[in-house]
Amino acid sequence: MNTPLNGCAICVRNVTKRYGNFTAVDALSFDVEPGEIFAMLGPNGAGKTTMIRMVLDILKPDTGSIEVLGGPISDATKDRIGYLPEERGLYRDVPVIDVLTYLAQLKGVPRAEAQRRAATMLEQVGLEANIKSKVSELSKGMQQKVQTVATVLHRPSLVIIDEPFSGLDPVNTQMIKDLLYDLNRDGTTIVMSTHQMNFIEEMANRLVMIDHGHRVLYGSVQDVRDRFAEDAVVVEGTGDWAALPGVRSFDLSETGREVTLHLADGATPDSIMQSLATNSGYQVRRFELAVPSLTDIFIQVAGGNNNRNGG
Amino acid sequence: MSWNKIFLVAKREYWFNFKRKSFLFSAYGVPLLTLVAMFLIFQFTANRESNLDDFARIGVIDRAGIVSVLDAPGLSADSDAPEYVLISDPSLPVPDNDDPEARDAYFTALEQRAREQFDAGELDGYLVIADQYVMNGVVNLYTEGNIPAALSSDIGSFMGRQVSARAPEALEMEANLLAQPIEEVMRDIDSGDEMSEAALVGRMLLPFIFVFIYVLATSTTAQYLMNGIVEEKETRMMEILATSIRPTELLWGKMLGLAALSFTQIGIWLAAGALLVMSLEGAREFVGALGLAPLDIALVVFMFVINFLLFSATMLGIGAASTAEAESRQIAGILTFITVLPMAGVVTFFTNPDGPIPLFFTFFPFTAATGLILRFGLTTVPLWQIILSLAIQIVAVFVMMWLAAKIFRLGMLMYGKRLTPRTLWQALREGRATLTTASAPVDGAAAK
Repeated sequence: MNTPLNGCAICVRNVTKRYGNFTAVDALSFDVEPGEIFAMLGPNGAGKTTMIRMVLDILKPDTGSIEVLGGPISDATKDRIGYLPEERGLYRDVPVIDVLTYLAQLKGVPRAEAQRRAATMLEQVGLEANIKSKVSELSKGMQQKVQTVATVLHRPSLVIIDEPFSGLDPVNTQMIKDLLYDLNRDGTTIVMSTHQMNFIEEMANRLVMIDHGHRVLYGSVQDVRDRFAEDAVVVEGTGDWAALPGVRSFDLSETGREVTLHLADGATPDSIMQSLATNSGYQVRRFELAVPSLTDIFIQVAGGNNNRNGG
Repeated sequence: MSWNKIFLVAKREYWFNFKRKSFLFSAYGVPLLTLVAMFLIFQFTANRESNLDDFARIGVIDRAGIVSVLDAPGLSADSDAPEYVLISDPSLPVPDNDDPEARDAYFTALEQRAREQFDAGELDGYLVIADQYVMNGVVNLYTEGNIPAALSSDIGSFMGRQVSARAPEALEMEANLLAQPIEEVMRDIDSGDEMSEAALVGRMLLPFIFVFIYVLATSTTAQYLMNGIVEEKETRMMEILATSIRPTELLWGKMLGLAALSFTQIGIWLAAGALLVMSLEGAREFVGALGLAPLDIALVVFMFVINFLLFSATMLGIGAASTAEAESRQIAGILTFITVLPMAGVVTFFTNPDGPIPLFFTFFPFTAATGLILRFGLTTVPLWQIILSLAIQIVAVFVMMWLAAKIFRLGMLMYGKRLTPRTLWQALREGRATLTTASAPVDGAAAK
């Protein structure tokens, strides 16, 4: 079990990073709370990887401050972080157990303990038979599982994973998800950067969306979705939707099974539900608020910014 | 700096590279093959040059009229030395010395007879001592196949006996000295000790052999260092390592691990050499001639360490600046070529070890160690040159280490993107290299 933190797991304040004339991160601020699953999203080139590298002290910010696990990052702090970059790999001609032991030792885990933990975790992800295989002999999915094990073997307080599920089949995806949930249950803070919005919707407590180095969305996943909720309801059923009181217009989905009812001024989802319940000309199988998916929000925000920036 | 992490990296680099097939081959295979090859060559050539089994009987046609002693004194009957027999034909009248035509006909007939005996297997060859032997020393040997050095030597002794036999009574020197008038004794100029021929050759050749081992060991391990960096960049391990260990710790760990590997390699070779020296007397003389004092050994070891650091730092920089192993190998090849240039220009070292070219090699950082060691065997290098050369090497090491650390920090996370000299120069001028380990956008490309 990880020691709970009083402050934030990551505190980013007004951080700016420039490469020559190019501003990769521009006055960015956000917090990651201890013990949460936090998502970092944004289109390609938004500055996510630069931001992660600054959090990890691989890069230094030009201005602003970053605190990690209760203070400025130090060698001791780094030993409490697990990082899996998007572009990842392992020593190819080395047995799996040796790579895992070496990386855990670099994080301060004694050799014997590192070997014991590696064996246990490889068993957990179904790779017990490959403990002495060379990395180059493993499939891509197997290698990814080994990389994930390497990231968490030293039992970090903070795990930062770039695209944790890319290239994994559904079974392995579930296995890694379970691993991350287990860690999170033990108090580990998890930061994931991903384009796969369904995983953010499913797993993340909060998120920050970065675009062109700026923070464009920030808050709990539910808050963000609610903020982008349209004044509309989604209904699955039959009836004359145009004649329903309180409906300004409606859109039929491509499958024809559901319809989005746009509310007229003064109408509320409650009043629409009441109208449907009292009118025998309508049959309703499903009724819900028209809350957009994160994918829709992502496209809306990133697309809008690209248009504004001529991209 | 965490010495614990440096030690971990050093240990990992040492054992990983120690188990490489290429290392095992160069560490064990090369000396083993060299020993086997030397043994076979020695056996073959020694046998080939000393074996007189094929020359039991040699015919002698004495046109000069000098032969008077056919038996070698003191030789037992079962000696390997050939038996010399005068070719004669009782049926032919011996011509007068004043009748050249009759002499020619007579000796031509004797040569024909010798040839017949040779073809019949009665002779293994025959000598024709020229008319003007006393003036020009010409002796023609007719035979087939390889002529071992021992046969030439024995013919020399045979002729020496003929010359000695004709020495006047009044000659105030040993008669056999007429055939071989000098007995050279070579002595060390400093100690005055007598030196064998093997020792003399050893004094000149050993530095070359040492330089060869030196360059091979250094370049092999320094290339492992470079390959390791390139692999860590190619496989993106570098980014994970960067969150666990400081670049300087990683750099030092790698250099120490591979320095230890390099010493292991040289240790194995020296052990093989010692084995050879212990088992062969000739090899003992060969090595003993160098007469290395403890101070000399300390100097050579010191230069090895400096040279290794210089090589490693350079290879490290090349590795960090390159995008792929093939590319880094090409650049590293140029460096290795520069280092072995003194070996390629060995003739200039022999002809004039204090000339401008050997001097240049002594003071050029990448060839200073090899240049200096080569000259040690051939001349007395002035103390000021040794000090200046060492000073240049030490300064070069510090400059290269500083530059390599900058390049390493700058280039370690530049995947698929070459660190150009222009980019490096810009970064150094802006002073950002110390602040950033840099991702792709150093030269303005978009960040992720």
